[in-house]
Amino acid sequence: MSTTQQTIFSSYDKDPKFFDEIFDEKGNVKEVYQTLFDLYSGHSSQDFAKLNDKAKASFFNQGITFQVYTDQEAKEKIFPFDLFPRIIDHKEWETIERGVLQRSKALNHFIWDIYHDKKIIKQGIIPLDLITSSANYLQQMIGIDPPGGIYNHISGTDLIKHADGKYYVLEDNIRCPSGVSYVICNRTALKRALFGVFNHYNAHTVTDYAQNLLEIMESVKPRGVDEPNCVVITPGVYNSAYYEHSYLAKSMGVELVEGRDLFVENDFVYMQTIKGPERVDVIYRRIDDAFLDPLEFRPDSALGVPGLFSAYKKGNVCLVNAPGTGFADDKAVYTYMPEIIKYYLGEEPILNNVHTYHCSRPDELKYVLENVDKLVIKPVDEAGGYGISIGNRLTKEEIEKVKKTIQASPRKYIAQPIMSLSVHATYIEESESFESRHVDLRTFCLLGADKEFVLKGGLTRVALKKGNLIVNSSQGGGSKDTWVLKK
Amino acid sequence: MEYTIKYKAVNTYDAPVDEAFWQFLLRPEENETQRVRLSKFSNSINAAVDASTNTFGFPICRVHLKKAVERISFEANYIISKKHSNPFSALDSVVNPVHTQLLNSLDFKIEYERFLGETSLTTLNREALPFKFSDSHSIFDNLNELNAWIYKNFEFKTRVTDVTITPSEFLAQGAGVCQDFTHLFLTIARLHQIPARYTSGYLHQGNGYKGDSQMHAWAECYIPEKGWLGFDPANNLIALENHIKVAHGRDYADCAPIKGIIYSNSEKNETNYVVEVQAREESEPDVFMDFEVSEPLPFAQQLAFQSQWQQQQYQQQQQLRQQQNPLDSSEL
Repeated sequence: MSTTQQTIFSSYDKDPKFFDEIFDEKGNVKEVYQTLFDLYSGHSSQDFAKLNDKAKASFFNQGITFQVYTDQEAKEKIFPFDLFPRIIDHKEWETIERGVLQRSKALNHFIWDIYHDKKIIKQGIIPLDLITSSANYLQQMIGIDPPGGIYNHISGTDLIKHADGKYYVLEDNIRCPSGVSYVICNRTALKRALFGVFNHYNAHTVTDYAQNLLEIMESVKPRGVDEPNCVVITPGVYNSAYYEHSYLAKSMGVELVEGRDLFVENDFVYMQTIKGPERVDVIYRRIDDAFLDPLEFRPDSALGVPGLFSAYKKGNVCLVNAPGTGFADDKAVYTYMPEIIKYYLGEEPILNNVHTYHCSRPDELKYVLENVDKLVIKPVDEAGGYGISIGNRLTKEEIEKVKKTIQASPRKYIAQPIMSLSVHATYIEESESFESRHVDLRTFCLLGADKEFVLKGGLTRVALKKGNLIVNSSQGGGSKDTWVLKK
Repeated sequence: MEYTIKYKAVNTYDAPVDEAFWQFLLRPEENETQRVRLSKFSNSINAAVDASTNTFGFPICRVHLKKAVERISFEANYIISKKHSNPFSALDSVVNPVHTQLLNSLDFKIEYERFLGETSLTTLNREALPFKFSDSHSIFDNLNELNAWIYKNFEFKTRVTDVTITPSEFLAQGAGVCQDFTHLFLTIARLHQIPARYTSGYLHQGNGYKGDSQMHAWAECYIPEKGWLGFDPANNLIALENHIKVAHGRDYADCAPIKGIIYSNSEKNETNYVVEVQAREESEPDVFMDFEVSEPLPFAQQLAFQSQWQQQQYQQQQQLRQQQNPLDSSEL
């Protein structure tokens, strides 16, 4: 067994700079992974090459693809799936679950406040400009009470594990977080490829997501409706997440519609069917705010439903998620999350925010100037990664230059410690063995009227290129089945 | 004063329109100086008319066309009573430091945030600000001077601009219509911390006012302790009994009198508008009829003024559908 172990794990690179999910500091396999490690070590590299093909075939047969946009065309690709699952024990998971729920609830309070009293601004906790300058802050939402008081029914919080072994929140996604269908399909694929391993672990199911999503949607039905008619609206087959839209509609047992299948009359929404119009009460929309209603937002939208927004405003239909949530998952708002949680819930944040130094505050500026080499410096008003300086990659001259730029206009800059993503054993086709690769974790949290749910599992995304920290699928990232163990 | 208002829009297409949605924001507002005594809205094909309200609470009506037509006309009729008023008695020319303090307070900025921020049609670099308020003048005087300045420095000229023009383009061009005058006024007022809103409405015809042949636009500004007051920079007027207000919003996009979504293979289309405003001193007995559908109208007048809000060809929309592929906000 020791010889096979050498083959499939021989190119595994243990770097003490990063937190390793599988091996501890001494290089021993962690308890929770031991059984799996032993099982995998019993197979040869040829076995894994075969299993890898089997898993790929499973994805192909399930029809799970995503689109990569190039300059000229969009290509359908199979989402790379990794054979080595990520395991999270129940204790660790409990913290994650409480943490993401806390954030979702705080964000919901925050959005309500901003579209009503703006108390948090009046109290001087959040600057007014931060909100009103956001393109995703919708004037149209001011004063509107969404059914059940819920704005972010679905939240996708992205977590990483830093070198200190603690989870940090990278960002909250509360517009249209996608990826949940991959979580479920990863489980199916792994079961098809390696059914035996599930006999040794007691992992929570992930297939209950659709049922819970439907219950959440039904809980936010408009007033006076007994049995709400729910639908999923998609921009159409050309959208990169179309697979997910159709998967969710199918597994909830509701209709998948496009804009032109719906129409609004007297501020009620109807769906055209062969039996005539049928009223629609709750819409899980996978269309961006700007495209929802051409009479209210972008007039050139061919994807939305004319008049939909007035129906929503009257409370005759519920949109999941509510329009105008986007200002709250903004990068700039992120830095205020600990304050937001304390202000609305009176609780300490359970999950860590990446610490942010505001150069506008003199003592923090002092720290930043003394520690540029250990920090990432970001301008507050730039998007898309422009103007970012990563301290440990700068020369001495460059560091001096950055310091001068910050001192010239400290209000324009924030600084954060350099975060390193934890590493996990990942099957690499080229070397036919397991190597260490960086991973993150997207969680899925649902909020309804008197109901909440966190999917026990998540999407572990893995950067397949060696040393790469970018896990996005458009950048050649893959994903892993993620097991949350029962007590 | 009693006004009888007629608004008519006639749309013609060179190929049948299969399905369409129109939204109208035409009915005069009910306020302290205006009372709507008759309100009627009809269309030439007797399609059902829906009543709803827009973001700012103004009543709108909608028509959903379900059968193929090549022409359709809409007509709105209103009779309103308008009070004479004189705001000058209440407006002082003395600088009040309390007002300046109020404009700079956080609570005030939060309350009037909607009408203080820029929109795509009311955006201008602070450095490019062509008109500056004087610290030694009162808020009202400054706004009045701004009104006169715009009136004097820009030419009222139709068909040189469209509804998507920005203040900087208008500044460069030096000519435009009431929307452009108003957008510039709003932009400058807001950059001086004065809440300002776009106002649409009808204008007394027969006084030779600029912009009276169509629906008109002017600006309303919030003056501390006094409230909202209308300034018409296209005519250098304060909006009083000659201005009949319909709605307000942040800019033209919130107040467009007609918006349409049309599904058709039609390559060419024409929309012609007629606005008639008749003033009388005596008044008629009250009649209230809301959104009543009258007999089909004969297809008639032809005037030229194109609506920018109507995006026509379904074909184009199909292309758009394929090109844009708007991604979910948070992709993997």
